Amino acid sequence: MSEKACRTAKILMAALLSVIVLFPLFYTISASFFTPQDFTAEKALFLPSRLSLRNYALAAAHRYFGRYALNSFITALMTASIRTVLSVLSAFVFTHLEFRGKRILLIALLSTLFIPSDAMLYENYKTVAGLHLTDTYLGIILPSLFSASAMLLTAGVYLSADRDIYDAARIDGSGDMRYMASILVPLTSSVSATVFIQAFISSFNSYLWPLLVTTKPKMRTVQVGITMLGFAEEGEYGAQFASIVMITLPFLILLIAVRRLIMKSLSARIGE
Amino acid sequence: MKKNERNAYLFLAPSLVLAVLFFMLPLAKSFTGSFLTISQSGKVLGFAGLRNYAALFGNPAFISSVANTLRFIVLFLPLNTFITLLAAALVRKKEKWTRIPEFIFLTPLALSLSALALVFKEMFRGSVSIMGRIFSTDVQWLDEPFTAMAVLVVLGVFLDFALDFILLLAAFRSTDRSILEAAEIDGASGARMFFLIELPAIGNMLSVTVLMALKDAAMISAPVMVLTEGGPFRSTETVMYFYYLEAFRSGNRGAETTIAVLMVLVSVLLMTLISRRRRNV
Repeated sequence: MSEKACRTAKILMAALLSVIVLFPLFYTISASFFTPQDFTAEKALFLPSRLSLRNYALAAAHRYFGRYALNSFITALMTASIRTVLSVLSAFVFTHLEFRGKRILLIALLSTLFIPSDAMLYENYKTVAGLHLTDTYLGIILPSLFSASAMLLTAGVYLSADRDIYDAARIDGSGDMRYMASILVPLTSSVSATVFIQAFISSFNSYLWPLLVTTKPKMRTVQVGITMLGFAEEGEYGAQFASIVMITLPFLILLIAVRRLIMKSLSARIGE
Repeated sequence: MKKNERNAYLFLAPSLVLAVLFFMLPLAKSFTGSFLTISQSGKVLGFAGLRNYAALFGNPAFISSVANTLRFIVLFLPLNTFITLLAAALVRKKEKWTRIPEFIFLTPLALSLSALALVFKEMFRGSVSIMGRIFSTDVQWLDEPFTAMAVLVVLGVFLDFALDFILLLAAFRSTDRSILEAAEIDGASGARMFFLIELPAIGNMLSVTVLMALKDAAMISAPVMVLTEGGPFRSTETVMYFYYLEAFRSGNRGAETTIAVLMVLVSVLLMTLISRRRRNV
């Protein structure tokens, strides 16, 4: 096969795959404009019969939809911030300090990598319920705040941090907190950004845990709430799609704006 | 105690408390609980020996959930590996046109798990659905065991696609240039170059990706919950969905603790394989 034919074949295949990959997103956006009749048309439609923002108005007027989105944003932000801080602290301790029990504590924390939290769902639910934390933000975020892989990722970068700077900072009398805040973290901000982005995405996307620990509608996160909007039951499938578009759009925009950063963050697992 | 040491314990304390509270204690409780008879209300009624395990393996619903999970894995893993590898291979060399598909392959990241599952549910909603029209069939996709499983598999691929694509693309692009150039000088090109040089060069990353996808597949439950709720006739009821039903709906503590222990074993096995591979990346 000539080089040119080969290139054409590659482009065609990439185009075909692109169409398949984009289809659910395209259909979601298209169906968000469907009228209730469009969904039951004899021949299923690709495009809405007419353009109207009725579905968006319905979704936006839903009693809890805004609250669901806010809950998700708050819990994802809290998870990402706290996990980043915990990763900085623990990575610093294991790479910069000497203390009794270092090895055993490191092994203990790393052992959590092998324990799938989905299989601990029931026991964790009982713990959180026992602490009276169901239907609270704290209850939603608590089990996912510590992540051994985030700690490892951070420690991997700190290992190559210049120890002379730390020693000099200590001779100058600046404490560990000060060293981390003004030297270590600013110098390694990209790994912290990685941890933050990974945590934010995984927290925002989590479904099972928030489903279990929330019972009050106003405490539900958007991933859970979106399956309980009740639009489908009323035959308003369009409003269901409109609400999906409304929570997807911010991420799509973010993906366009900081594509490189997100790709780098998500592929950072390689270095673990 | 030196200040140094005090700081170390102080900084580690929150992480340790969380690790103990949400990983180690629940594991210890599941492990001991799996050898005890526990009532629905959580009361310990006595020592059970291996009876919980025997009951679990004697439960046809559990056996069928294992079979369903294996069926899912057998369908999902090759398809997922092929599609993500194809996507990454197509755009691995940056050219003018590759920017567009490269971006498109990332877009599934924007649709979250439950959103995508809801969209799939609608796209495959019986004969008037859009998929019914595209394939011009009136198959009731989610009401027949085989097609329901197939839809679940495709959903699984969509959920894993973007991340696996990013990992494999990064691997392709970080391959040592000198290896590729040496092969080119030796006259390797096209398909030969790809299969004999480039693919083996990312072999380790590829196996890490496959093993991670395998781990996700073995643990799959949330997509099942939104898409099919295990149906039709429990044909898409996976092990972890069975665990969820037993633990939260039936209050069957014997099944809950034993499945937790077994899934930890599966996870330890897969994570050991992953970390062994990863060391060579």
